[in-house]
Amino acid sequence: MLVTGLFIAMAALAPLIAPYGPFDVAYDADRAVVALSPPSWQNWFGTTNQGMDVFSQFVWGARVALIVGLISALGSVILGTLVGLVSGYFGGWIDEVLMRLTDIAFGMPFLPFAMAVISIAEPSLALVILLVIFFLWRTPARVIRAQVLSLKARPFVWAARAAGASDTRILVREILPNVLPLSFLYMAIGVQTGVMLEAALSFLGFGDPNVQSWGIMLNAAFRAGAMRTAWWWVLPPGLALSIFVIAVFMITRAFEDRLNPQLRGI
Amino acid sequence: MTGFARYVARRLALLLFVVWAILTIIFVLFKLLPGDPTAIFVDSNFSVEMIERQRALWGLDDPIPVQYARYLGNMLLFDFGESFFQNQTVAAILFEKARNTALMIVPALIISIVLGSIIGAIAGWQRGSRMEKTTVVTALVLHSAPSFFVGILALMVFSYQLGWLPPGGMVSLGGPETFWDIVTSGDYWQHLALPCLVLVSREITGPILLLRGSMLEVKGSDFIDILRAKGLPEPQIVTHAARNALLPLVTYVAVMTGLLFQGQVLLEIIFAWPGIGRELVVALNDLDYPVAQAALYLMALVTLALNFLTDLIYGAIDPRVTYD
Repeated sequence: MLVTGLFIAMAALAPLIAPYGPFDVAYDADRAVVALSPPSWQNWFGTTNQGMDVFSQFVWGARVALIVGLISALGSVILGTLVGLVSGYFGGWIDEVLMRLTDIAFGMPFLPFAMAVISIAEPSLALVILLVIFFLWRTPARVIRAQVLSLKARPFVWAARAAGASDTRILVREILPNVLPLSFLYMAIGVQTGVMLEAALSFLGFGDPNVQSWGIMLNAAFRAGAMRTAWWWVLPPGLALSIFVIAVFMITRAFEDRLNPQLRGI
Repeated sequence: MTGFARYVARRLALLLFVVWAILTIIFVLFKLLPGDPTAIFVDSNFSVEMIERQRALWGLDDPIPVQYARYLGNMLLFDFGESFFQNQTVAAILFEKARNTALMIVPALIISIVLGSIIGAIAGWQRGSRMEKTTVVTALVLHSAPSFFVGILALMVFSYQLGWLPPGGMVSLGGPETFWDIVTSGDYWQHLALPCLVLVSREITGPILLLRGSMLEVKGSDFIDILRAKGLPEPQIVTHAARNALLPLVTYVAVMTGLLFQGQVLLEIIFAWPGIGRELVVALNDLDYPVAQAALYLMALVTLALNFLTDLIYGAIDPRVTYD
């Protein structure tokens, strides 16, 4: 929780914390670019091969990570919950159609398809988020559908129906509150997966070239061979990504334990 | 038909449906490409007539439904045409790359399953010990850490700093080429060590956590008490318990292989491993669309086949799964 809080603060306050803009180039007194300088007082984490400040990029990267994580998690959970509710509640051909769609979605490995789409369209952060949403909605959709199926057979739903409640009312007032904890769980998982997938895509060179995310930093560092020469350029984005993802994962697990104690073993 | 046979038939029909759907998506995707595929391929010196002839040769002048039908037929028969740039059929290229991918995945998978099960079983047996707690926390961290950064770190430490292992590739330049020559050469194993280590560091966590969990369950059951009453030495009891705890692992392995295939692209890029994922990235960057299209299809096919397999194993093992 603490770690995640720190990252959120960093993302929110990026303009205040980061000493330079993400694309600003550092010059020394002779107007020469300060490329690949090791960490110093001017550049806490050193500079890249184009003389950009690693610490600033690292701070701005938190913002990108959070935007991607939150929007894609929210989008996928809303979509997944809707599909799950409708599919489970109404059943019949609607269920059949929606479930075949999830089957198709489950058959598409994310990275290959995302790379293909991005290479055909223009790479942009919005497209990356859209793709992540498309990849993530399928699991909550299935799980929530199963949950709705079991809820539908419970007495309190019959009672509502006997009292003359409409389908919409039953769905919103009776069933939705009971699946919301699951939705929140998938929201947390979505943040983690979303951040990771964006980083992976960007690292492979399919990210938005107009923003500085941790994945894009790693891509630039990797291509410049910084692993050999400039450890200070590789470690900040990589460690930030790892720590962020691990922190969110731990929160998810704690949450999952509370939701379903039986799962504790796995 | 028995329940299980019906279940299999239904799953198979579903599989075919999804294969068709994904082929269609790929077709649409590559039809949406801006511009003309000939534009990339054709030299600016080509005359208009030559371009026309090339278009006719590729069937680009046929109506879309005809192209679609031909495409479906070719894909189902694994006839992917020729690469734009490499003077080889796409099927030949991709077969070799897929083999290379397997050459990285399979050893890692075997090590992960065997070693992971053993560690997990021991950890589950010694519940509450420091060893168990350390194992679980380490496994959770490794499980959620982004594998490509772990790969980069490993490369930095073992290849660049220490200089112990080669930084990339599958074999040295001019090394062995046929399957037997590769797997019997020390060169390959040297190149394999690092990517394999990274893969194992992540994949091993699944079996560890899973086996620990089911071991905890088995440990509480009666037959363990009976074994102990018979006076069996502790290590033998653990073996008995582990055998019973192994069942959930079977389904997990299929899921694991599927996931492994997805993350594979990243490691192949980092370690310059000439596998199918890396080939896809290269083909997309080079606009070599026949290769990209077929690689995409093959990778989806592997995912689908593994999903199918998981469903079957589930159906066969777990009596609670209803066959409808």
